[in-house]
Amino acid sequence: MKKDKKRPLTLQNYPGAVLILAFMLFTGVCLILTQAQAASGKAPDKIRIGNAISLSGPYAPGATTTQIAPYDMWLKEVNAKGGIFVKEYGKKLPLEMIRYDDKSDIGTAVKLIEKLILEDKVDLLLPPWGTSMNFAIAPIVTKYEYPVMGVTVDSMKIKEIAPKIPYFFVHLNQPPVKAEAIIPLLKELGVKTAAVVHHADLHGIEFAGYVMPQLSINGIDVVLYKTYPMGAKDLSPLLKQVKAADVDAFLAFTYPPETFLITGQAKAIGLNPKLFYMSIGTAFAAYRETFGANVVEGVMGTGAWNPKVPYPGAKDFWDRMIQAVGPGKVDWYGNAFCYSSVQVLEQAIEKAGTLDRKKIRSVIAGNTFDTVIGPVRYENQINVQSPGEVGQWQNGEFEIVAAKAKRTANPIYPKPQWP
Amino acid sequence: MNHATAKSKKYLSLGLPLLFLLLLAVAPLWIPPYWVVSFNTIFMYIILTLSWAIFSGPTRYISLATAAFFGVGVYAMAMMGQELPFPIVIALSGGLSFILALFIGFLTLRLKGVYFIIFTFGISELIRHLVLWWETKFTGTVGRWVLMMDYTTAYYFLLAIFVITVLSAHIIRSSKFGLALKGIGEYEEAALHIGIDVTTLKTITFAVSAFFMGATGAIMATRWTYIDPTIAFNPLFSFMPVLMAIFGGIGPFYGPLLGAAIFAILEEVLITKFPYYYMLLFGIILIAVILFLPNGLVGLLKKGEKRV
Amino acid sequence: MLVTFLDIAIGGLITGGIYALIAVGLSLQYGVGRVLNVSHGEFIMVGAFAGWSLYTIWGISPLVSLVICSPIFFLIGFFVHITLFRYLRSRSKSVEAFIDSSLLVSFGLLFIVQNIALITWKADIRGYSYWDTSVTILEAVFSLNRLVALFFAVAMSGAFYLFLTHSRVGKAIRASAEDPVTAQVMGVNINRVLGICFGLGALMAGFSGILISMIYEIQPNMGLEYTLIAIIVVALGGLGSITGSLIGGFILGLIGNIVTYVDPGLSLVAYYMIFILVLLVRPKGIFGK
Repeated sequence: MKKDKKRPLTLQNYPGAVLILAFMLFTGVCLILTQAQAASGKAPDKIRIGNAISLSGPYAPGATTTQIAPYDMWLKEVNAKGGIFVKEYGKKLPLEMIRYDDKSDIGTAVKLIEKLILEDKVDLLLPPWGTSMNFAIAPIVTKYEYPVMGVTVDSMKIKEIAPKIPYFFVHLNQPPVKAEAIIPLLKELGVKTAAVVHHADLHGIEFAGYVMPQLSINGIDVVLYKTYPMGAKDLSPLLKQVKAADVDAFLAFTYPPETFLITGQAKAIGLNPKLFYMSIGTAFAAYRETFGANVVEGVMGTGAWNPKVPYPGAKDFWDRMIQAVGPGKVDWYGNAFCYSSVQVLEQAIEKAGTLDRKKIRSVIAGNTFDTVIGPVRYENQINVQSPGEVGQWQNGEFEIVAAKAKRTANPIYPKPQWP
Repeated sequence: MNHATAKSKKYLSLGLPLLFLLLLAVAPLWIPPYWVVSFNTIFMYIILTLSWAIFSGPTRYISLATAAFFGVGVYAMAMMGQELPFPIVIALSGGLSFILALFIGFLTLRLKGVYFIIFTFGISELIRHLVLWWETKFTGTVGRWVLMMDYTTAYYFLLAIFVITVLSAHIIRSSKFGLALKGIGEYEEAALHIGIDVTTLKTITFAVSAFFMGATGAIMATRWTYIDPTIAFNPLFSFMPVLMAIFGGIGPFYGPLLGAAIFAILEEVLITKFPYYYMLLFGIILIAVILFLPNGLVGLLKKGEKRV
Repeated sequence: MLVTFLDIAIGGLITGGIYALIAVGLSLQYGVGRVLNVSHGEFIMVGAFAGWSLYTIWGISPLVSLVICSPIFFLIGFFVHITLFRYLRSRSKSVEAFIDSSLLVSFGLLFIVQNIALITWKADIRGYSYWDTSVTILEAVFSLNRLVALFFAVAMSGAFYLFLTHSRVGKAIRASAEDPVTAQVMGVNINRVLGICFGLGALMAGFSGILISMIYEIQPNMGLEYTLIAIIVVALGGLGSITGSLIGGFILGLIGNIVTYVDPGLSLVAYYMIFILVLLVRPKGIFGK
């Protein structure tokens, strides 16, 4: 450490250097302490799984409800049955989770991922929460060759970058899949006019960017199109314009805070178009809990899963989740995807018969896996299986209403009045 | 103090820093890889805090615009990193922050005390929202990929900037320039009267400190690999340097350095050891330090020194 | 046209009312007490969660919670001041030194309160519906809970204004805000006044937190956002001018709504634009002296 080149020697000056020495020692000691815990690992007696995720900060609500709950349940259940059988060692290996808090900060997330890989030397990694977080770790896990299945990633960009990040899989259905299903639904229901609003972040911009041209191609007239910034506290001026436009369908590409805000304000001002659609947050358990089943009746949302889907283990998973986190807390989309991703991981380890990450990666890339969201298969690392693209609240259940073949109930149209 | 010990001490005070520099330079060869990653963050905090202190330390104008300069660097790297070699982009990032700081400095000449604090904060938030608005309106997307730099290369870049920052801080402090700055901090009107060109001095120092923030932002962007306006202009980067500098003690030159280093290490240890309680512990430590160490960590040292 | 006008005006006042309350709280703590309390928003968050818990667990109406919780918040704030900030103040050599160290302490408080909230309430999004039926005023439609929030914000502001101008403590507070040294000479017990100010600041935070829980969804990290808004408003209104903060809050709410009507994408940009323009043109704030 360079300092004090020609400063006169004063008492103020000299301790500086000593201090820096002390600081170096302190760093050393702290880091050694951390180091001591790292695995020595030759013959593993467990599978160590690293997960740096947001336990605090703005991403924490999403991370806790969508990802952490199903991960923890999976971990507990696997350990209850003795672990995952790994052929290479001829025995079942229990799981151990090392979890850190990335504070919803990308710098911390990137650093902690490297800590998990370089220092804790974990066997496998689980992804963080949120599109940007997953994007940030994707090049890193690829560099160290750790297969990771990102769940809460939602962006068109992933397609163009996928060849550069072969170790990063995207488990969630991406915007094209979910947006594509909206148009046939609108046409089937006879929607003629629409208003589109979205927030000024990746999700909203991309979704709108995809849906807007499709609407005009299909002869649906977009009467009103507006953006708003994230963190908006009052959207009633905007919603009043929508109401004045008197459209058949209201499409809002939102994040959870705005989904809640728009619902409350639309109800208050009596904005009740025949079709009321919002994206992220509509399928949250907290959404129904906040407003009550009678208020959300008829509201549509992006991405849907419910225990009625015809896949093995779906109903059972739903019941176990409810037992694990309590009724009214399991969401109707993300939880199933999250659980399904670790099901894939578990099956891939068993199939590969080893903890060799390269082999596990190629097993994931080249096979089909039976999970609670159906048979999962990856094309260019993107999962092509989708249990449902548009959901609608009906009697307190989030029914799949699109795509048509996957329906668990027929769409209610027009939407009933707010109570 | 006799002559001989004074002389040997003089060599020591010159030799020790050089020795440390040497140690730091070869460190990535023998320390575990994750330490290098940790050092990157520690360096980042030290550079931000130290460059913040170059301006705010002597003048007592507390700036909360660090996030703006840092974010400009981050964005410069995201936009130019693909086309130009890293060192050039880093220099350019620093340059852009420098220009922005000149502009902000020019605008804020009238403001003093707490108005300056609030203004600088407002400007960095304004820039964040403007970038966000501009990106959505004109580029049609938010978020950019940044070319990844491996941690050892980043380490050396940061080390270089760190050394330059320390040297500049030192040179500014021990020059007439620094004296004049201190004069502004103590009594601005008097400084004006004895013929110091207060505004030019302030603006230039502000811009110099912004240069280092921008350059650091550019390097950190390559570590994060994906950025958007919220990430780049995170207001936390405005608050952290202030916290760290006060924590260490603003007075002497090594105070902010020490504050940033200890703060960063403390955070690293707490967050990995107690992921569910680290904020609680951190808060308690912060309050305890302030209550029991009135002048930051430096105050503690001075006490110890007197006893010796 | 009238409807549009009413929409914007009343909508703006509703947001503005809450901004005003929050800002007055910060203004008391910073303008008078010189504590730039960055944990202000955390008190708001705790208020919001208190309102939510009381309503969802015991079915206590948030309006009742306002009455129950306000004194508690006052006491918490008062206690925090006499344990931490009074000591810091007595020890600090200069006002600047006190501003520095109190900023750090309030950061410490921010971390502590937020962590405790995370442990107590978990990181989930919460919310409840309360009085969310619609009300029509001359063809303009609003939700009842927002109007109630506006009513309480205005009532609280008014009551507080009367308290400032007419009670002895209020006068002491104003005197201390303008000139602490003279106030002390005039026989004001400055320590007590500062304690009361901090307590009142916490009270305002808790109060507005409960109002916020009636209209928005809430989560443990919501605080900082409100702290930032409070800082803007306080600067707009002028430091040390408590009435300035009150009016500044309403102005910001109104402007926000007008801009949202024109281009929602610019509403936050507008906040900071106004803020910066005001600082440039009138550095002491609109109502600063």
